[in-house]
Amino acid sequence: MSDTVVETKNLTKTYGDFTALNDLSIHVNRGQILGFIGPNGAGKTTTIKILVGLSKPTSGSATIAGVDCSQNASKIKQLVGYMPDKFGSYDNMRVHEYLDFFGAIFGIPGKVRKARIQEVMETTNTTYMQDRYVESLSHGMQQRVGIARTLLHNPEVLILDEPANGLDPKARIEMRQLLLQLAAQGKTLIVTSHILPELSRICNVVAIVTAGKLRAFGSVDEVMSSLCPQRNYEVQVANAEHVGSAERVLREVLSESEPLTSSPAELTLRFPTVRTEAELADLLHKLVAAKIPVTQFRELTTDLEDAFLSVAGKD
Amino acid sequence: MNPQSLLYNPILQRELTSRLRSPNALIALAIVALVSCGLVLMRWPGEASIDLVSQGSIQVFRPVTYAIAIAIMMLSPAFPATAIVSERKKGTLVLMLNSPTPPWMVYVGKLLANVLLGFLLFSVSLPAIFACYAMGGISITGHILPLLMVFLGMAFQYSALGLWVSSRSQSIDASLRWTYSILLFLVVLSIGPSVLVGKLSGIYAWIAQALTTLSPIPALQQITGALGQSKSIGISTGWVEYLLMCAFSTIGLAIATLYKLHPNMMDRARDAGKVIEAKESSWFRRISYLVDPNRRKSGIPFWLNPVMVKEFRTRKFGRLHWLLRLIAVGAVVSILLTVVAATGTVNWGVDRIASSMVLMQIGFLLLLGPSLGANLIASEVESGGWQLMRASPISPWRILTGKLMSTFLTLILLLFATLPGYVMMSYIQPAIGGQVSNVIISLLIATAMVTILSACVSAFSKTSAAATAGSYALLLLLFAGTLLIWLGRGNPFGPVFVERALLFNPAATALAEMKAPGFETFQLIPKGWYVGLAICAAGLIVLILRIARLTRPE
Repeated sequence: MSDTVVETKNLTKTYGDFTALNDLSIHVNRGQILGFIGPNGAGKTTTIKILVGLSKPTSGSATIAGVDCSQNASKIKQLVGYMPDKFGSYDNMRVHEYLDFFGAIFGIPGKVRKARIQEVMETTNTTYMQDRYVESLSHGMQQRVGIARTLLHNPEVLILDEPANGLDPKARIEMRQLLLQLAAQGKTLIVTSHILPELSRICNVVAIVTAGKLRAFGSVDEVMSSLCPQRNYEVQVANAEHVGSAERVLREVLSESEPLTSSPAELTLRFPTVRTEAELADLLHKLVAAKIPVTQFRELTTDLEDAFLSVAGKD
Repeated sequence: MNPQSLLYNPILQRELTSRLRSPNALIALAIVALVSCGLVLMRWPGEASIDLVSQGSIQVFRPVTYAIAIAIMMLSPAFPATAIVSERKKGTLVLMLNSPTPPWMVYVGKLLANVLLGFLLFSVSLPAIFACYAMGGISITGHILPLLMVFLGMAFQYSALGLWVSSRSQSIDASLRWTYSILLFLVVLSIGPSVLVGKLSGIYAWIAQALTTLSPIPALQQITGALGQSKSIGISTGWVEYLLMCAFSTIGLAIATLYKLHPNMMDRARDAGKVIEAKESSWFRRISYLVDPNRRKSGIPFWLNPVMVKEFRTRKFGRLHWLLRLIAVGAVVSILLTVVAATGTVNWGVDRIASSMVLMQIGFLLLLGPSLGANLIASEVESGGWQLMRASPISPWRILTGKLMSTFLTLILLLFATLPGYVMMSYIQPAIGGQVSNVIISLLIATAMVTILSACVSAFSKTSAAATAGSYALLLLLFAGTLLIWLGRGNPFGPVFVERALLFNPAATALAEMKAPGFETFQLIPKGWYVGLAICAAGLIVLILRIARLTRPE
């Protein structure tokens, strides 16, 4: 399963003098989940709008399953299921009627639509709320109905804008499981989110954009190793009076590019480094030789948030 | 009530500053100033002489007065009608009511802010009014002061009305719809019994006259020296009675609104939606709901436009069970009117019956039409539904036809409810068959006009509240504004000008065809139809272009 389903090549979009998107090139394979990350105004929504045929690029191209997004918008609408960040609620409409309406505007014939609504409600676990008014649903319920709506016409690609936004921890776990389940069914997903630990748990690929430019693209590990080459280490000592002596020993060894921070209250010292395992073992040996009671010497895990902040901090 | 606390009322200060910062306030003030000064310039006498007793100045004064009155009617209720309901929706009302600021201060702040804005609105026309004074024939005590008091009374009454409706409404558009509907009753329909029925006696006469005090029209006619005009149509009240009624109604509405301004009003559960199964339905429910809104709906059939079906299903007011009730009421009233006339209970001719029916139909059209039409596009954009429709394969043309038909069919159903009355009328007097057909054509044009113009306003508005207010304002201007010109027929407006103005009003075309009292001399068919159809065609072209723009990729 390595065939490319979504591809953008040198995608650029300008509004007058303002460049919303600058030379973006990414690709997503079938069954993959792409985490699309960026601060507000980075160009995520612009990219999504081009991919779903709601906006035309100034230059470059975007294709879904080989179909050009700007040249063949009507075909794209059948290939993509789009869930914007705003739910799109209607007053006095029950969940079943809501799904029936969207099925009808996608041109799904009556009998097929009826069966399909049952199917997507089962997939998204929304069957029990079919008689409830959509505006009376909680945010988490609405997000699940939103996904059910995007699945109605059985699209190849799902583009979800902030699906986990505003959800409580339980609903977030359910959403995560649902997205993984859809990817397992062969759907290709593009998901934007500000909750980065959430994305790192489900995404195969991430793209980080800031100010319209692609800063990093690849698997989560690739992106983190390219953006965060330094590893963070933590030394914990047995009691507070040894924090000072440990600091003295470490300062003798560490260079200026390895800034040391100490926290006597936590009995810890932290520093970033690019040293090899052997060099780090030598460092630990020096601490032990100086009779400092080291209780822990460990690498702190770097996550997507650190990677994102390292890029966002440069702008 | 401490005057100092009124002055430092934080609600009043916030409301005033936020409104005055809005460019719309500046535009409204500029329009009123320009229109009032423009009217004075147009009617300013060519000769360089001033006549203290002549009617020259009155002829300038009168149109200025009516122009300002229309501006107050259109603009004053719009903000208060959204004030409480929108704060409740945003969650800021509960913050205010849970603060040490007492509810009456919240109310007074909102009321005074709007009245002061109303005051500002008519104060920009003071140069025009004093220009009339400078011409002579107009006195400060006899004309200008009463006029300013009537304007102030209108600003108070309409602001209090808007706030009261807003405190009871669940949505902004419903609040605007009901406010403008009540305004229509207060201004135009309240003088209906006196105008249409003619000379009455006893308790009926007293009720008809009491109703006329609700409308500012008799007061304005008295001030502008057109009392004879009022008397000729059976009205004998003036500005003093109107101001008294304003004071009573404002106090009554304030008490009713303050009763609702309580933190408990926010404590309402969301309606989750209960489905009634056929076997659970009681006989009473089956009769009262021929189409039960709580029964599970079947899927949208392939031969129906899904957008149209969606529009019907998402309405609270205007769904089929409500429509059937309104149609039933319309049918019964129209038959009763005809039966009463046929049996000779009252000495009404066919003209008066037909006029009542036309007014009832136009009332229905103006009550429902603007709010249905105004919600077609603006509320879709506001709720995020438009974005979802753009991301679907449905064509812009199908969206447009579905939306327009949902409003047009609703209004047509309402119009056809009065057909039994017309049939009976044609049976009583077979010679009027042709006239009845012409009236029905005029009403169909009116329906198309209401639908298309309110949809146009909706397509250019950012919020449904603005669209609803704009639609009511535009259609009231077209329907009630031209009738105001008709009221001033002969003086100051000449017959040619009145006839040209009435060509823009399909209701006037229908009334003229049925030779309703006051409309006998006007021949508006077929010119009125052509004007109406031209307005519909122009509106439709604008709408098609706008929808194409809203649906195409950015």
